[in-house]
Amino acid sequence: MSRFEKVNSKVVKVQLGAPVVARRGSMLAYSGQIGFTPHGVPGGMGGGMGGFGGLAGGLMQRAAGEHVSMMEAHGQGEVHYGFRGAHITLLDVAPGQQLQVEAERLLAHDSSLQTSTVFLGSGGIRQAISGAVTGQGLFTTQLSGSGSVAILSHGGTIALPVTPQSQVAVDPQAYVAALGQLSVEVAAKVGWRDAVGKGSGEAIQLKVTGQGTVYVQASERKL
Amino acid sequence: MAPTILNPSTLPSDDNVNPYAFCIELRQPWFLRKGAMIAYYGQASFEGLAQTSLSAMVAARFSSPLYAQQWVVAQGVGKVVIGDRGYDINSYDLDAGNLTIRAANLLGFETGLELKQSIVPGFLTLVGTGKFLASSNGPVIFAEPPMRVDPEALLGWADCPSPSHHYDTGWMQGFLGSMAHAVLGVQSGEERQFDFTGAGTILFQSTEVPRPDPAYLAQLESQVTGLGVPGLQRLQTVIGQRLAAEQQH
Repeated sequence: MSRFEKVNSKVVKVQLGAPVVARRGSMLAYSGQIGFTPHGVPGGMGGGMGGFGGLAGGLMQRAAGEHVSMMEAHGQGEVHYGFRGAHITLLDVAPGQQLQVEAERLLAHDSSLQTSTVFLGSGGIRQAISGAVTGQGLFTTQLSGSGSVAILSHGGTIALPVTPQSQVAVDPQAYVAALGQLSVEVAAKVGWRDAVGKGSGEAIQLKVTGQGTVYVQASERKL
Repeated sequence: MAPTILNPSTLPSDDNVNPYAFCIELRQPWFLRKGAMIAYYGQASFEGLAQTSLSAMVAARFSSPLYAQQWVVAQGVGKVVIGDRGYDINSYDLDAGNLTIRAANLLGFETGLELKQSIVPGFLTLVGTGKFLASSNGPVIFAEPPMRVDPEALLGWADCPSPSHHYDTGWMQGFLGSMAHAVLGVQSGEERQFDFTGAGTILFQSTEVPRPDPAYLAQLESQVTGLGVPGLQRLQTVIGQRLAAEQQH
């Protein structure tokens, strides 16, 4: 496994042990003997929807808007990663945990982690529509296995613990990632007030339940 | 927490006010990038390079016609606060040295330094002794060669020879293969870097949304002359491809 270390709030240094997958164009500098190759489209639809691998999975990801070109660094040496001055949070995924994150917020991760695209919530057509309305998308990327992940946010992340006793609701635009055994659902309380533009502006939320941590940013800016 | 209120005597002298603002104690003339000054105390004047009374000094110290439009000379006595888009501002002291820096990130320099255009487009070289100010997106990272740096992340370099282009081995194989079979391989997005060797220091930062640099554009435009119709048509296709790639991101 590779060692991830933050150099400052916006740059992460990776000591390559095993190959590391990172967002295309995010490599800042490297020293040593390192090669970069385009990363094959990872394993298709997960989350109990059956395994479409390879090309079909790639097409699904594209259709889901969860496709960001990734590339793999392999060899010996140190690589620095950063992306357009976005703040970086380092997370460790332990076996049995899942990390759900928008594909465009994923900066780099150990290649030992499996990635898949999952459907956000399963509450029928009404939720599907509200997901589309929030711009949150209906799909998210899920990483599982064991390894380190670097995620991007605007201005850094705040970690909120989630337990079975206390669920957390977050603003879809502030939501960054969820780590643990969590389910993230789009919860809409759209009433007639929203329809006439007199709503509170907070009608659509993401409801996070289970055991783990949810990460939010103090900003509504997307990457 | 109540904000600290600063006045001419409590403003720092040639030091950072906070990570994003720097206060120059003006005693001798400074070259400043247009728009870098955010406030000043005292009797300071800011004049375009063509209008200033110090034209002999400017001609000797500012050896870059391309950037002359974007710079002013500040002179007088007072305190000048410098800021740039909320970026971190760093001051550097050169002692009979040389340092090359991305033109878009250079904010000001003392007249003890001499400005020259680097061979690498979009970069400026400072030679001599004195202080200069540069902005960066997040703290600057210093590293030593041998190292390869993404062109967009490169902030500058000191004391080491100018970089060369490095192309990823896999990409070169694909390129040579495509020359043989006319099949283009998939690109990793990281096929081209600046390769630094020798002794010195490299400065880099997190990539930023590139700021349009009119001088860089002018420099490229001036090199287009004499290409003829086939050359220009080729450039058009290359630019078309780049545009498509940029819009994909």
